[in-house]
Amino acid sequence: MNAGHQAFLWLGLQAIALWPQWVWYWRRLVDGSDEPLGVLALLALALLLFRLAPQMRRVPDWRWILVACALTVSSAVALEVTPLLSALVGVLALAAGLAAWLEPDAPRLPCAGLLVLSLPLLSSLQFFAGYPLRMVTAQLSCGLLRILGFEAERSGSSILVSNQLVIVDAPCSGIQMAWMAYFAAIAAAAALAIPDRILLRRLPLVGLLVMAGNTLRNTILVGWEASGRPPGEAWHQTVGLVVLAGVCLLTLKWMKREVHGEVSRVA
Amino acid sequence: MHSTPLQRFLLVFGLLLLVCGPAIADDSEATKAESPYFFVKSSDPDVDRLPLKETRVDARISGVIASVTVIQRYSNEGKRPIEARYVFPGSTGAAVHALTVRLGSRVIEARIRERQQARIEYAQAKSEGRTTALLEQERPNVFSMNVANILPGDEVVVELQYTELIAPVDRRYQFVFPTVVGPRYVGQGSTPVSQGGSGSFPAIPYHPQGKAPDSKFTLDVQFDSPLPVSDILSPTHVIKLTGSGRKRAHVSLDAGKPANDRDFILDYRLWSESTASGLKLYQGKDENFFVAIVEPPKTILPSEINPRDYIFVVDISGSMHGFPLDTAKELLGKLIGSLRPTDTFNVMLFAGSNRMLNETSLPASAANIAAALRLIDQQQGGGGTELVPAIRRIVALPKPPELSRSIIVVTDGYVSFENEVFSLVRKNLNNANLFAFGIGSAVNRHLIEGLARAGQGESFIVTKPSEAPRQAERLRRMIDTPVLTRLQARFEGIEAYDVEPAVLPDVLAGRPVVLMGKWRPVPGSDKATLHMSGQKANGQWKQVVRAPDVSQDAIELQKLWARSRIRQLSDDEALTAGDEQRPAITQLGLQYSLLTQYTSFIAVDRIVRQMGPMDSVNQPSPLPAGVENSAIGAEVPSTPEPATWLALAVMLATLAAWNWRARRVMERA
Repeated sequence: MNAGHQAFLWLGLQAIALWPQWVWYWRRLVDGSDEPLGVLALLALALLLFRLAPQMRRVPDWRWILVACALTVSSAVALEVTPLLSALVGVLALAAGLAAWLEPDAPRLPCAGLLVLSLPLLSSLQFFAGYPLRMVTAQLSCGLLRILGFEAERSGSSILVSNQLVIVDAPCSGIQMAWMAYFAAIAAAAALAIPDRILLRRLPLVGLLVMAGNTLRNTILVGWEASGRPPGEAWHQTVGLVVLAGVCLLTLKWMKREVHGEVSRVA
Repeated sequence: MHSTPLQRFLLVFGLLLLVCGPAIADDSEATKAESPYFFVKSSDPDVDRLPLKETRVDARISGVIASVTVIQRYSNEGKRPIEARYVFPGSTGAAVHALTVRLGSRVIEARIRERQQARIEYAQAKSEGRTTALLEQERPNVFSMNVANILPGDEVVVELQYTELIAPVDRRYQFVFPTVVGPRYVGQGSTPVSQGGSGSFPAIPYHPQGKAPDSKFTLDVQFDSPLPVSDILSPTHVIKLTGSGRKRAHVSLDAGKPANDRDFILDYRLWSESTASGLKLYQGKDENFFVAIVEPPKTILPSEINPRDYIFVVDISGSMHGFPLDTAKELLGKLIGSLRPTDTFNVMLFAGSNRMLNETSLPASAANIAAALRLIDQQQGGGGTELVPAIRRIVALPKPPELSRSIIVVTDGYVSFENEVFSLVRKNLNNANLFAFGIGSAVNRHLIEGLARAGQGESFIVTKPSEAPRQAERLRRMIDTPVLTRLQARFEGIEAYDVEPAVLPDVLAGRPVVLMGKWRPVPGSDKATLHMSGQKANGQWKQVVRAPDVSQDAIELQKLWARSRIRQLSDDEALTAGDEQRPAITQLGLQYSLLTQYTSFIAVDRIVRQMGPMDSVNQPSPLPAGVENSAIGAEVPSTPEPATWLALAVMLATLAAWNWRARRVMERA
């Protein structure tokens, strides 16, 4: 049995230990309460593991194994609190288990990031972070609209612009854009083998980029709505997609530039 | 220090965040009224989310008085105890005077209580685990029923009774039973009751357009008239009729199409009006009451007509989208199309904002009429129903003193701030008459009738396009023909007091004068007579009405009198910023056992039935027939992110393109 097989055996056993979390995960995946984007993160993780398998250690780092065990137990305990928290601790336990088999300088953060992104997070994020995000987006859009000459006032997460009420509701919060941008950032980090500490330092800036992108998207659409000739559905989609592509490109550029100006490796 | 473009962008964005931060608006303003919303069925099978199983209506019409019993049957087919809440409509003139709850073999009679006291008793009974029912008035034509502690398997039958006066219009009588409350627009700045506003309005869940009502609905009307009843027909429902042309006739609904998604309207005639109208005296135990219905003159002579100015105020909000707006277009086509060349007119369209056809009124030339009709025809309906700013703009329009102005408001009345509108019209409508047209299958009659009352005009209800010509013609006759002004009533043979209305309004063609009040006998007098006098366009008008014998049963009439007095007090209250009529209205409600805005009915079972938790469920209503989903507010634009699969495709394509380009760069290097 080579190192990769041993690692996968360990991870498999650990995954079996986390079966209640997988049951919950499966239910959430099929009940339609969240977008099944996590499947893409799991596929990306599988691809990454396939690439990392030949470089895995023969003897795991026992410190990481201890962390993985502690997190697995914590995950079981957290099940009593809330399934999402338990699942989050569970995937971090898996990330720690995987980290134990990786070379000391190998990037561990992308694996953990993809595991976190694989969770059905969007609905919960919408619930807990959606309103503040929408409020900030509405406020920033108001500022931009005023600069552009519109009469705009925010009330809650709605904008009254030129006597036209436009609501920044849940689907406008930018949570989906954030998932896409972070996925792109982590995929790029994995491809570029960016060291963990650098990746950790730059991830918050991706969030700021998402906020800027969502504000821009919202401002264009609100201004358009207030112009008296509201855009159709196709234009809504087009504006959203163009801005998303821009945010993803800037994110990737950000990831690439920060490795001291050099690309170390390309997938 | 050298910075990249990306860093500069982020710096600018950060600064914008800082600049905008302090300008964040205050969100602390409390909600005053709640908006309607779409019903979402829970996936929890243990909770019965649709507890109202059936509504049964039994109406008995005797002469001009209808006695109506509404029976609502609630049952819990789930596994957990529930509290059911149901908001339902009533007739605007209904005097609700009794509530009974049947639980198995037990019958619980409700008591009338001051509203807050009733709420306290309800909350206490609810927490003690007793089955209890609370009936409150949200508006004179909207009520809410709360029934707590309905245990699994229970059947709770709630029975409410009301009385209503049916006055003839153009010698036709009309019995109306509304079955559904239309979704009300709450408005952005509605004021609470303490500041003279209409106060709160309950959030009502609605099924989407096209979904049939959940509960069964049956209706029976029994005529028990002193005169044969004829020409019985319903313009809204298919009916089964027996006994037409006789004194005892019976009407019931034909099974088939859903019946409770629109008002039930029943038109009829009495073979001779002579005994239906006139003066009637009733002797009660403590107080005696009278009702007088006096027809205006039948033959109306042509009169000199001053130049007239018409302003049409047309609601084009979301709830008018589709059939109501189509009906409004048909109506306006008839109204505007029949203007004389000497008339002037203007059109205001309002929804979230408003706009006029022209800054000043235009002559009713063929070209101007065509332009107005074209403008109206282009409207699709959408947005809120900001009626207050629209009326405010209308009343501010300058008017030469010699000009006779008529304002015609066309709306479905789906707003929750009625009092603000009434107050605005009564305070500011200088010498103009306001005519309100309610359009739709379940119009807010409280707003339409109140608007007309406040504007010294008349209300009209148009439920379908085919009724538009008749109602347009009725308005034309009212405006063209002279009205009775300076009306006075004098009684002989009795001492009349507490007469309602205290000041008689002008009478328009086709509408009788209705007087109610109390009386005491005058010693030595034999027969009571009512002497009516007024000013016609071409001289004095007088009529003497004699009362036949005194009837002994005054119960119905005392309720109707009290309801009329409460309406008058409520109208006065709407004019002022306060609730100073609260003691008087509460007193009337308690004395005559009437449901009012300050008194409620509360019924409490004596047996403690459960102590566990309970789920609250709001019984959904269907959208009124012809009203579209946009009435709930789905038309407010938002800025959603793109579809997930498209976003995913774009993100992956961007990643692939970036990867491909990076490879190309590496290969070149």
